[in-house]
Amino acid sequence: MIKVSVNGEVKELENDLNVSEMIEALEYKVKGFAVAVNTTFVPIAKYSETIIKEGDEIDILAPVQGG
Amino acid sequence: MTKHLETDNTWEIGGKRLSSRLLIGSALYPSPANMEDAIKISGSQIVTVSLRRQAAGDNSGNAFWDIIKSLGIEVLPNTAGSHSAKEAITTAQMAREVFGTNWVKLEVIGDQYNLQPDPFETVKAAEVLIKEGFEVFPYTTDDLVVAKRLADLGCKIIMPWGSMIGSGKGLMNPDNLIAIRKQFPDLKLVVDAGIGKPSHATQAMELGYDAVLLNSAIALAQDPVKMADAFRVAVEAGRLGYEAGVMKEREFASPSTPTVGTPFWHQFKE
Repeated sequence: MIKVSVNGEVKELENDLNVSEMIEALEYKVKGFAVAVNTTFVPIAKYSETIIKEGDEIDILAPVQGG
Repeated sequence: MTKHLETDNTWEIGGKRLSSRLLIGSALYPSPANMEDAIKISGSQIVTVSLRRQAAGDNSGNAFWDIIKSLGIEVLPNTAGSHSAKEAITTAQMAREVFGTNWVKLEVIGDQYNLQPDPFETVKAAEVLIKEGFEVFPYTTDDLVVAKRLADLGCKIIMPWGSMIGSGKGLMNPDNLIAIRKQFPDLKLVVDAGIGKPSHATQAMELGYDAVLLNSAIALAQDPVKMADAFRVAVEAGRLGYEAGVMKEREFASPSTPTVGTPFWHQFKE
């Protein structure tokens, strides 16, 4: 298991998950989101090749109201 | 009844031809239904949205996004909350994927107290985003040189503030806004932030600005839907006034009623 930060909260994940597998493991239900790992955007096309590592800081953002 | 004149009623921004010159925010309304009604009555064809962290099991983001999508108008994602070029660039990239648009309202904050845009980081971020194919709508101060730097990078749109975000103070420095308008007749200029009441929007439009962007002035009104309608009319009035050509100010009084034929004057009284 590894420890990562997801949206500011510490989470435990299996080793060697890619981004798609991480989303599934987190049971993230919000539709229409985008992912950044260590403040770098990870496009959908790169989910399968991007492996989550110990200490990674992950942001998953979804649409909200804005001015 | 006399038919009303139409304004020069379509204009182009970011490759889209629109009729409304009012850009509206989607935040701070009393309810989602109120937001929807206000946006509809405003006639606005561009609505600003944002991206935020949401809890894993939370699906409230869907409801909001579903309403916005159902409006069928252009979406302008912002990078609000960014304090560096890097954060703004990442947010813009994420927004492009989520919202399916290359438009971005670039907003990099340099001061927590007055939420003043950071011109240095804004320029840095704009340079990268333009290279990546974004249509950048930079939110900036009313500083002419910052506008020049952004224009030099290839920004076709510049959005100087009227005053601090959410302050409702109106146009703090109209002369600065006029200077930017005069210097950049071909750029699309939008007064963004600080507008508090319809007359502020009218004033911005009378200065020859192409549009105004506002949120709090409508959302925080006692009746946001009625205020949205008021702003629709105010923006239209300001644009018509600009197109009609405002009279020159004078330093002296000048009677508007003809002086020829003034009653009660008689030669023999001299």
